[in-house]
Amino acid sequence: MRAFLVIIALGFSMAIMISVPAGIVANQEAAQSLTANFNSTISNMEEEINKTSTLIEVSTSSGRGMFSSTPSNTFSGTPPSMPFRGFGQEEVFMNETVADEIRSIDRVKDAVPFFEKSSNETTSETISTPRGDFTISRPLYTITGLCLNSSFIDNYSILPTNLTAGRNLREGDSGVLLMSLNLTDYFGVGVGDKVEINGGSFTVVGVYSSTTDQGLTGTRTVYMNLTDAQTITDEIGNVSRLDLYAKDASYVDGIAEVIKAAYSDLTVTTIKDRLTSLENEQTRYTETLNSAESTLGQTQTVATQEIIVAIVATSLIVLFVMLYTVRERTREIGILKAIGFSNWNVMSQFMLEGILISLMAAVVGIAIGSIGAPFLSSLLLPHISLFGGSSGRFQPTFGSANPGITGSQAASATLNPQLMLLTFGAAVLLGALGSLYPAWRAARTSPMEALRYE
Amino acid sequence: MSELVLETEKLDKVYKLGGRQVRALSDVNLQVKKGDFISIMGPSGSGKTTLLNMLGCLDKPTYGKVILDGVNITKVPEKGLFKIRKYKVGFVFQTFNLMPYLNAIENVELPMEGTKKSGDEKKKRARELLKMVGLSEREEHRPHRLSAGEQQRVAIARALANNPAIVLADEPTGNLDSKTGYEIIRLLGKLNIDQGTTIVVVTHDSHKAAHAGRMLSLSDGRLLAKEKQGTHLMKKELICPYCSREIQPDDTFCPRCGKKL
Repeated sequence: MRAFLVIIALGFSMAIMISVPAGIVANQEAAQSLTANFNSTISNMEEEINKTSTLIEVSTSSGRGMFSSTPSNTFSGTPPSMPFRGFGQEEVFMNETVADEIRSIDRVKDAVPFFEKSSNETTSETISTPRGDFTISRPLYTITGLCLNSSFIDNYSILPTNLTAGRNLREGDSGVLLMSLNLTDYFGVGVGDKVEINGGSFTVVGVYSSTTDQGLTGTRTVYMNLTDAQTITDEIGNVSRLDLYAKDASYVDGIAEVIKAAYSDLTVTTIKDRLTSLENEQTRYTETLNSAESTLGQTQTVATQEIIVAIVATSLIVLFVMLYTVRERTREIGILKAIGFSNWNVMSQFMLEGILISLMAAVVGIAIGSIGAPFLSSLLLPHISLFGGSSGRFQPTFGSANPGITGSQAASATLNPQLMLLTFGAAVLLGALGSLYPAWRAARTSPMEALRYE
Repeated sequence: MSELVLETEKLDKVYKLGGRQVRALSDVNLQVKKGDFISIMGPSGSGKTTLLNMLGCLDKPTYGKVILDGVNITKVPEKGLFKIRKYKVGFVFQTFNLMPYLNAIENVELPMEGTKKSGDEKKKRARELLKMVGLSEREEHRPHRLSAGEQQRVAIARALANNPAIVLADEPTGNLDSKTGYEIIRLLGKLNIDQGTTIVVVTHDSHKAAHAGRMLSLSDGRLLAKEKQGTHLMKKELICPYCSREIQPDDTFCPRCGKKL
């Protein structure tokens, strides 16, 4: 029974000994994957921006552009800002006459209008981050009206591409809509069913996957004909955004100047702004990574201290247990010496016992560690929040690879075979180290005195 | 029979007890010949155990020599003493001192650990010894399942494991009832006769001491010059020590006078 308790105690100490390095390894891996993720995101964005060099985004409110700035404090304790378009802001629209004026500006090739309006009802969603779960509330659904012009559909990929059922919207569609998968549950409809939204009756022609790479719980948007959207929301003649395409990239600046001068209340975003924004993002990512790196450095210092403590604790446990054992078995030692056991015989026997206890504890430690390593390491190491911020709102067009930086890279510590092998090695070493002095004392015991010991 | 197995010369032992010097042994000159069965008698505190510890390499004298099997063991460095304990001396204790977690045969094999004997040889020798002390049926029993007398028999078998030059028994009957005690003394006598084992028994019981061949007395650390003859020598010559008539080696009682041998 006593041996059992000792082995359990030693096992815990060893579990700590292995969970800490396991946590370190996991953190490093998480940091690496985060870096990779950052890099690929940045390059994807760059690619995307360069593809749309002729795009000028005209929207009715700041923060509705392609790259709205997001707070850079994503590594602090506050939950990351939620990049929901339009949420929490009053939705302002521009009149289509303004849109027509803009469209008629020289050297504008195309102007694609978008209409967006969020429902008044909200829904609560919980997102998990390494710092815990946060509950956010967001609009239950967003209505997006698209100008279903076949040349827009073909050239500017304005529609979702990740359909899971039914068909996509196409030119001339009216009274039909495309719904994200998570909304089908809410409305209780499927492809071919009728659904009533804001008083308008629609047929669901297609369902698209609501998951995005944005690290959030997915989009909740219904797509429909622009006119339909305007009608049911009572916003006839209004649009939220206009995507202008210049005839050539070199005209972009000029067009932007003209719009800015004429309509001071509109926000104009060009490739230049987007690239600046990207640079800001990049800076932020770099800061994030640097901070992650320095956290890792701190972690390593703490981990080293913890491992040292665990090693000392393990050796001390072995030491005291073996001292107790030697004391308890003094008489036995006396007998052994009286019948001709050498000091070395006695010493090696007790050392072996110490090593054996330690090895059994290593098995227990590995067992505990393989279950509890994630928990133990998160308990013992400073919190490494490898929470890459949100990537901003980069989804003016669908069909583009846009992974974004996912919300969390929760570092999960697991034991690898090398660590286990190392544990057994450490067990032998610490068992020997801890039992060295007790065994030496046992060996030195005078047989005569030991025999007298009761 | 004149070969000396053990000899002490002017053996002195002085203990320091709380700053006071206590002389436990004083000028002890003892000679043990091969094949002797000696009892050393004396009241408690007379230095019997001290003497025995000195003879068995468990303790060092303050002054004087102990020559065991031709080796002056007082000159042997600490590191070499275990070999003498292992090969030259067999100890029998008052409290048996068997290993509780080993069975009879394993206890007997214990002193053979670290010798050149193979596992089978050890087992064979241990069986032989257990048979010799009459415990063939009890080989697999652990000490707690053996009677006190049986435990002491196992201890005697263990003492003989490495064929020592001398067996030293410290109050071997001290923890036994009278009947069992006599059985143990007779067993030692039998081993002395059958195997020629040299035996020194320390006891404070004069009746049991009388069963030895030579009876010595210790008093206040001094060996008394007067040496008595015990009944053992006569038994050795197969003569009843009470009526001087012929007896058989296995007789417990004299067939003529009926006295307990």
